[in-house]
Formats: sequence, C-alpha cells, structure tokens
Amino acid sequence: MELELKVNKRNAIVKEIKREGNILTLAVDDVEYTVDIVKVSNQEFSVLYEGRSFNIEVIENKEPKHFNVNTLYFKFDVEVVDNESRYRQSRMQSKLILNDNTIRSPMPGKVVKVFVKPGDIVEAGQPLIVLSAMKMESEFKAGQRGIVKEVPVKEGETVDNDQLLVVIDDIQEK
Amino acid sequence: MEQKPIKKVLVANRGEIAIRIMRSCREMGIETVAVFSDADRTAMHVRYANEAYNIGKAPSSESYLNMDKIIATAKSSGADAIHPGYGFLSENSRFARRCREEGLRFIGPSPESIEMMGDKISARKKMIAAGVPVVPGTTEKVTSEAEAAKYIREIGLPVMIKASAGGGGKGMRLVKKESQIASSLRAARSEAKTAFGDDALYIEKYVDSPHHIEFQILSDKYGNTVHLFERECSVQRRHQKVVEETPSPIMTPEIREQMGAYAVAAANACQYEGAGTIEFIVDDKLNYYFLEMNTRLQVEHPITERVVGVDLVKEQIRIAEGFELPFRQEDLKQSGHAIECRIYAEDTDNNFMPNPGTITHITEPFGFGVRCDGYVYEGYTIPIFYDSLISKLIVWGRTREEAIERMRRALYEYKITGIKTTIRFLERIMNTPDFRKGEYNTHFIEKNSAFLLADGMCDRNCEDMAMIATFAQYVSRLEDSKKTNAAPSEKKETNWKRQLRKFTSRI
Repeated sequence: MELELKVNKRNAIVKEIKREGNILTLAVDDVEYTVDIVKVSNQEFSVLYEGRSFNIEVIENKEPKHFNVNTLYFKFDVEVVDNESRYRQSRMQSKLILNDNTIRSPMPGKVVKVFVKPGDIVEAGQPLIVLSAMKMESEFKAGQRGIVKEVPVKEGETVDNDQLLVVIDDIQEK
Repeated sequence: MEQKPIKKVLVANRGEIAIRIMRSCREMGIETVAVFSDADRTAMHVRYANEAYNIGKAPSSESYLNMDKIIATAKSSGADAIHPGYGFLSENSRFARRCREEGLRFIGPSPESIEMMGDKISARKKMIAAGVPVVPGTTEKVTSEAEAAKYIREIGLPVMIKASAGGGGKGMRLVKKESQIASSLRAARSEAKTAFGDDALYIEKYVDSPHHIEFQILSDKYGNTVHLFERECSVQRRHQKVVEETPSPIMTPEIREQMGAYAVAAANACQYEGAGTIEFIVDDKLNYYFLEMNTRLQVEHPITERVVGVDLVKEQIRIAEGFELPFRQEDLKQSGHAIECRIYAEDTDNNFMPNPGTITHITEPFGFGVRCDGYVYEGYTIPIFYDSLISKLIVWGRTREEAIERMRRALYEYKITGIKTTIRFLERIMNTPDFRKGEYNTHFIEKNSAFLLADGMCDRNCEDMAMIATFAQYVSRLEDSKKTNAAPSEKKETNWKRQLRKFTSRI
C-alpha cells in the first residue's frame, strides 16, 4: 500500500514494505522505518521505534482525508493526497486571485451589522460587515477598492465557519 | 442566629463553574438544579445535576441573565437557595434583593454589600474610612475636563481614568501626557455608558510595573472574618487573567500579614457575608494599594483551595446556612505551591480570536497534584453565545519549581482536538525565563510576546512518526469499511454469549 501524505508544507510518499504482526516496515520518501505499531483505541496508536515510544492521536477532521495528529509535544495537520484532493488543490490555486475579494467568516458567529449592498463602491479599509461570536465583535473591512458584487447574508443571521459573507469585484478603470 | 440547612440549590450559571459547585453540593448531600438555555441542552452541567430546566433562548439576556425565569424555576423546583457562580448575576444586587424578597437564600453577600463594593467610588471612600491604603485618586466622580485636569495635576501623571460602575478592564484609559486628557476622558465616558449604562468616572494614579495580588476572604453571619492568603494574578492578556499562582513569588511574610489584615478590615467595613476577594495593586517596592473588592467566588479560587485545604464552595453554603466559620485565622496555613492555567477556546495564531466548534477528541491530564475543572467532552459543540473559557488546569507541588514542572507536564498531556485552544501558549509561558524566575508583572505577556507566539520546532523523525500513524489509521479505516460492506459472516460465538448460555441452562 502506498499513500501520498501532506504534513504542513511537506509532501511525502509513504509506502508499506513488509508487515509481520505488529512490526511494520515502511518507507517515508527515501527513509526506511521498522516500527512496532498497534492501534490502542479508536483514534490512538502506540508506535515503538528503536526503543522510543510515541503515543499518537490521529483524529479525523470534518474534511475527509484530513487528520489532526497529536504527539506528546506537537500537533500536525496531515492530509491524504489523492487524485481528488490534487484536483481540488489546483482549482483553489486558480481561484486565489479572486480570494482577496471575498470575505469569509473565520469562525461560527452571528451577523450583527451589514454596511454595504450589491452595487456599492467601497474603498480600501471601508467597514463592510460586523460578526459577533463569544462576546467579541469583529469588523471586517475591504482589502482594496472595488464594487460590492454579493452579500449573501443578512443582519441577525447565524453563520458557519468559512461561510461566504461579502464578494467584491474589481472596478474596471476606464 | 439559628442554622437552617439548605436542601436544594439552583445553580444560576453554566460551564465549568456550575459543575464545580454541583460537585460540592453532592458531597454535602444537597440536591442540585441546573438551568439551561436552548444552546446548552447537551452541556455537562445539565447532565450532572439532579434536576434541569430550560430557561430560555441562547442569548444570555434571555436565559442566564433572566431573573424572573430563574427565580420562578427555583420556586417551582422547590430549591431553597441559589448559587450564582461568577459573572452573570453573581454581583447583581437587584437579583440578590429579589431572592431575599422571594424567600430564597442567595449564596453570597447581602445586596447592600454588593452595592457598596460594586460602586468603585463609594468602595474607595469606605476603604479610606477603614484605614485601608488605596491607590491615590479621586473620591468623587469627575464631571468636567477642567476638574479632571486639576485632579490629574494633584495626583501626578501617569493616571488611569476608570468607570465607576465598571470592571473587567472596560471603560478604562491610561493617560501618560497632558495632551491625552481630553480625548481619554471622552473615550472612557462613552465606553462606560455603553458597557455599564453609567458614565461616571474616577481617576487613579497609575502604578508602574504593577502586580495584581488579591486576597481571598471568608466572613460568616457572626462577624467572623478570615483571609485565606493571596493569589498572584499578574499574567494577564488585555486585562484578562491567564495564569494565577499562590503563594506570590514576590510576597514576604510581613507584607502578607499586613495585606491580609487589611483584606479582613475591608470585608468587615461592609458587613460582608460569604466568600469575597480583595484586589490590591502592588509595585516593585512592595507598596500595596486597595484596587477593588469582588463580592463573589472567583474563577481562580481553586489554587487557594489546594494550598489551604479548604473547599470554598462548601464554606459559602455553610455560611449561608448560618454556621460559624469552622476555623480561625491561626488555623490556616499555606502548604506548597499551586498554579492555575485557564484554557480558552482561542486561536493564538490569529490574535486570540474565539474558536468555537466541535470537540473531536479529548485527552485530559491526570496524576499526583493535578486538578482539571472543565465541562467539554468528545462530540460536544461549544456554543458561540458565551465566553470562551473551557477549562482550568490547576496543579500543586511542594515547591514552586515542582509546580511549574508539573504544569508543563500536565499541559503536554492535555490534548483537545477539533478546536484551537491556548494550551500551547500556556506551555510556552511555563518555559519563559521571567515566569520561571518569578520575576514578572502585568506587562509579562506583552514583554515576552515574541517568545510566547513562536512556533515549536519538530524534528523530522517526529513528523515521520505522525505520517506513519496517519498511514496506519487510513489503512485501518479502509479495512473497517471493507468489513461492513462485506456479506455478513457466520455469527461468531463470543465468550459472553457462551457464558450466558451456560448460566441460563443451569436455571
């Protein structure tokens, strides 16, 4: 079995070479490891490598093939990269230019105030929308000059994490 | 005065403090009543209590701050007392008064004591009259800019402009230069009006390199007051406490005795009943000044409990029942060292933005000297309507060094997945030289922000181990899904079923 994994900014190929009971030999890119690995609970593994003991939690994220991985001292975000996620990744790259002009909610919350509507021209630094969560209010401002294209939410509405709040288009300078 | 035992307590709060209060009630054989909003149906305090009632919609104003609903629920459930916890209605004298009018015991001080200490200007006056040293400042509210400028010249810059009805860091402005006086006054006044509905201001000298040291007191209905020593609370971020410890690393036995005596005098000056905290501000030369009194149980009370060996919630209840304090000042001693770290659901990489969400996994720390007061569990979704404190980690050690190492160890063990928390940030505080040496004041976090927000470096081995475990988990999940999709195999005989058959065949 072979998988491509992504940890933080690093991509690596993990390939199983041999398995005998708990003893697993595999290669992470060009480095070979022989470990004693046992699944001890639904989301935890005990890994023994050259006498060192690693107790590792591998917890599935909301997004499929995304895991939150905890060792004693560190946390990692690990993604299983397959064709589907490679496709999504490349689509996101091409969308990056537009990303500067969208405001997405950084956390679940409630829309307290909306200052703009589609068709309004906004300047850089102009307040667009205020979100409230956990007794804190955050005001989101326009990153650059533009014209408001969409405001898919309204005052009083509850929003999720990463929900689209405001879309701004570039103004075509004559 | 007679003793009237309390049989049932309604806890007018939520989160970790509601559970903590209910634990002591259980130990005393007292029944507990939980109240919850629509957003808290699955909260731990609801699951823990003997009885639980819905009191309204999610926003606090419609539920946890709804006095009518809470009092009605207390009466219909047959509760004879209400414990308000901290925050919410705990320092609301109108609520305390209504409890009294309705024949419900409010586990806390009288409405009069709450009012006296809640108005910061009147509290200062009372303290001055009782001989308690206060921060040099105004004793009447400041109404005009000219008046303010006059006081400021008398007191001497720098000064703090503060809201009389305020607390928690709101409605406060630091003025370092004469040119800032007008704008700071205006800003403080408007913030005070918005936050507390009262724009009365007073002015205090700003103490440089301040330490925030507070004393816990207990007073019974018979005029007995004791102090349970100090808590050092100077590790703060934007005036919000992050780490607390006791004993304070800068305290001396002489100063402790003096401040303790003043704390007791302060409580007696307002005929206090119950548990309370006297806050002092202390400079590097150990000059101390009364800052304010908190007429409620505080978040950081567990460190006092650990070092003095007293359950403060039980004492609050016994005082409310009319019992005398079971100890005198000379019976109380500090033993060892305790530290508390507050764990918030906040993203430290993103300006500590609150981070509500669903807990996908949780591993709590255990072992000698570790106490974890929380309320979240795997699968629980933290609501967006309340504050972001999710738990308190309290450790005890025989020495301060042992307590710090134990806290580091416990923080490494503590893993909450699914939301961002401040656990990593707290680990770094335990590693910061200033904290380890015990040489810090309220500027600690600001001063060490680069160190505190730096990323930990992980070696390549460790990263590879994470990938190996992920590989194994992915493979394991694939095998699981193959098993459930495969045709059901012959039912395997389990040991349990075999034993059951053996047993039932003998009947």
